[in-house]
Amino acid sequence: MNKLPLFSLAAIAAALFPAPSAMRAQDVDSAMLSNPPRDSWPGYHGDYSGLRHTKLTQITPENVGELGMAWAFQTNQTAAIKSSPLLVNGVLYFTVPDNVWAVDARSGHQIWQYTYPQNKGLHIGQRGVGMYKDWLFFLSPDGHAISLDAKTGKVRWNVVVADSAKGYWTTMAPLVVHNHVIVGVSGDFDNLHGYLKALDPETGDQQWEWDSTPPDGTPNAPSGGMTWMTGTYDPKLNLLYWGTGNPTPVLTASTRPGNGLYTCSIVALNPDTGKLQWAFQPSPHYTHDWDAVETPVLVDADFHGQPRKMLMQTSRNGYFFVLDRTNGKSLLTKPYGPTNWATGLDEKGQPIPNPAKDPASDGRLLFPDEGGLTNYRSPSFDPKTGLFIVDAHPSYGIYFAKPADGTVGWAGADYGVWGKGVLQAIDYQTGETKWTHELGRGGAGAGVLTTDSGLTFTGDSAGNMLAVETATGKTLWHAGTGAQMQTSPISYELDGRQYVLAGSGSVMFAWAVPEVSDTRPVTSQVRKLNQ
Amino acid sequence: MSLYFCSHRPVCLFAASLLTATLCLSAQSTSAQRTSTQSSNPTVQTPSARRQVAKAVAGTPSTALAESGNTVFQGNCAFCHGRDAGGGETGPDLTRSKLVGDDKNGEKIGAIVLNGRVEQGMPKFNLSPEQISAVTAYLHKQKADADLHQGGRRGVDVADLQTGNAGAGKQYFNGTGNCVSCHSANGDLAHVAKKYRGLALEERLLYPKNPPMKLSVTLPSGETVSGRLAYQDEFTVALKTDDGRYQSWPAAKVKFAVDDPAQAHADLLAKYSDDDIHNLMAYLQTLK
Repeated sequence: MNKLPLFSLAAIAAALFPAPSAMRAQDVDSAMLSNPPRDSWPGYHGDYSGLRHTKLTQITPENVGELGMAWAFQTNQTAAIKSSPLLVNGVLYFTVPDNVWAVDARSGHQIWQYTYPQNKGLHIGQRGVGMYKDWLFFLSPDGHAISLDAKTGKVRWNVVVADSAKGYWTTMAPLVVHNHVIVGVSGDFDNLHGYLKALDPETGDQQWEWDSTPPDGTPNAPSGGMTWMTGTYDPKLNLLYWGTGNPTPVLTASTRPGNGLYTCSIVALNPDTGKLQWAFQPSPHYTHDWDAVETPVLVDADFHGQPRKMLMQTSRNGYFFVLDRTNGKSLLTKPYGPTNWATGLDEKGQPIPNPAKDPASDGRLLFPDEGGLTNYRSPSFDPKTGLFIVDAHPSYGIYFAKPADGTVGWAGADYGVWGKGVLQAIDYQTGETKWTHELGRGGAGAGVLTTDSGLTFTGDSAGNMLAVETATGKTLWHAGTGAQMQTSPISYELDGRQYVLAGSGSVMFAWAVPEVSDTRPVTSQVRKLNQ
Repeated sequence: MSLYFCSHRPVCLFAASLLTATLCLSAQSTSAQRTSTQSSNPTVQTPSARRQVAKAVAGTPSTALAESGNTVFQGNCAFCHGRDAGGGETGPDLTRSKLVGDDKNGEKIGAIVLNGRVEQGMPKFNLSPEQISAVTAYLHKQKADADLHQGGRRGVDVADLQTGNAGAGKQYFNGTGNCVSCHSANGDLAHVAKKYRGLALEERLLYPKNPPMKLSVTLPSGETVSGRLAYQDEFTVALKTDDGRYQSWPAAKVKFAVDDPAQAHADLLAKYSDDDIHNLMAYLQTLK
């Protein structure tokens, strides 16, 4: 073998096997969030793009069959984990309603737990924390934003961002852009206006508010348009992208003529002022509870031969949208599964709702069902194959509404009839599905992560975590986790070892390929010890 | 936001969507009792009914207990059953529930809470006896409040589902829908309208919940084992034989076939017009 200079061997060794050392402290800010180090996952989506794609390649199609559990963390809670963990300075932060944990990312050992006082907020789910510098930001079921010291879990400040007495609640993971902590709100059971707020990370003071719908009680106008999922951000354009939820009343539009702006919309806002730059409405005049809050995924690539800054969304209403994110103009709109509620597309590329499919007293059969063709858990975009991979839910539901149901909140009733889960890979250039992978009866509802080595991680309806080949959808690895994954997986590298993390039920699982410290057979090692 | 499907379900919504409508506290036989809860919810109250309601309100446990039950309810139950217990995306309206109405001191509600209805998508909740008694007080108060209010209720009444044409439904049943390939008006569906009414009947028409599926497995030896499908995912299939024994196999290593008697219902979903469904409902309601 050719001799290599000693220093280069040392350099290679150092690169391959970094020595454990006191880590240089990571300081979370917009620069880090724009380009997170390999040993971090500092925001809900990892970086700002929403691709949920990792550049890490240690786990490959060839070795993923050996993937094993590195550790598991038991929350011992009834509530399922729905949060996407953050990783900063070797510490993971994740949540269920009223609870935040700091956990050692190497061992799964708990560092601290913060428990919010018992409250009457709606405990429907908790999607994780946001982080700036050494501070965490957490939303409570009763509409408080709380900042915790990441080192200790001690409360720094606690402010009210939504009035739970009126019917708001909060679940989302705040997004940090510059010195703004951006928080959204939830609330479907009352006719309340939707909004997004920016808070000062130092004090919790409000910096701006953007309203998706007019003040409560405005006649002939929608309420709703809740902002309950974490948006994405383009640092170069300095634009914040956010999806808004359905209008209220939900199943009847008798009090809200027109398209109902800005409900069921994708909006671009200036993150420093909250000013609206443009809006696109996946579901004008909505009456089926299909929020448009699914991740607005930011992709820079060619579209039909032209370099484009795009925004892609697999929307809950069953349509795949590709927009030019500089101006909100449509590049492509196409259903990615069974839908029957639109008569066509308008000149903006927005579906035109069919009034015959509005909920009625004797019922209307709709596809998809209320859960939608997908829901809030993250899809993933794989830059190498150009595939947009989503957990889809082909489904059917019946929708009812009559005057006696009133015009407040749900204002009707709907029932799922049948559905199944399908992992689906969409070619963004055409909207055509390249491959599907059946995930089981009912549906799966897990998030998706892709890796630069050509792997896609997700979960099926039976509670198996799966690794499939990104190019084909072929299963390469699985492990039964005992509960359906309700989280979106993340990945990071620590001490030269790549981990994939996903919560299932109330347990957080960390997976890695086995550490190879000594490849000799055990007997020879024993002999050596005996010598 | 929505009652966001999976979004907010404590058990996975997707999976539960199949089961959504079956998740009904009020039912032993869910469908049957849902009907009875509907009929027990008169939209016009008689004076005597009002007196009964007033009596029920007077008889409810202390407001303080109900208030503490409200806190427990919001923390554990509201994400499925709605903030006011009036029903959410995945959980039924508990104010219309027969079981809640029949419950005296939490003995029925407590059993459901502690054991869950896992098959129907409701997990167990490990609540203390004090918490159960508080939730019971809260549910009784919500039921009494709801009974006092006209309108604004979310639900489907039998009267809502009478817009179809029975003759056209019969034609669809025998013709386009080809329902006769599995069903007969004089056989399995005789008196179906007595067993199921309203929404329960329509839901069964569209897709019967948890249909018993059959699995037959051919082993490498050539031996065939058949039974009721007990489990299936991408990697494992399992059945229960007639004597109740559970057996499973790696899906890749055996030949197997699943017979899903309800698949024809699923296949029809994309083909129905709304009129077809209403007409079929009208026809089935003649089979008394």
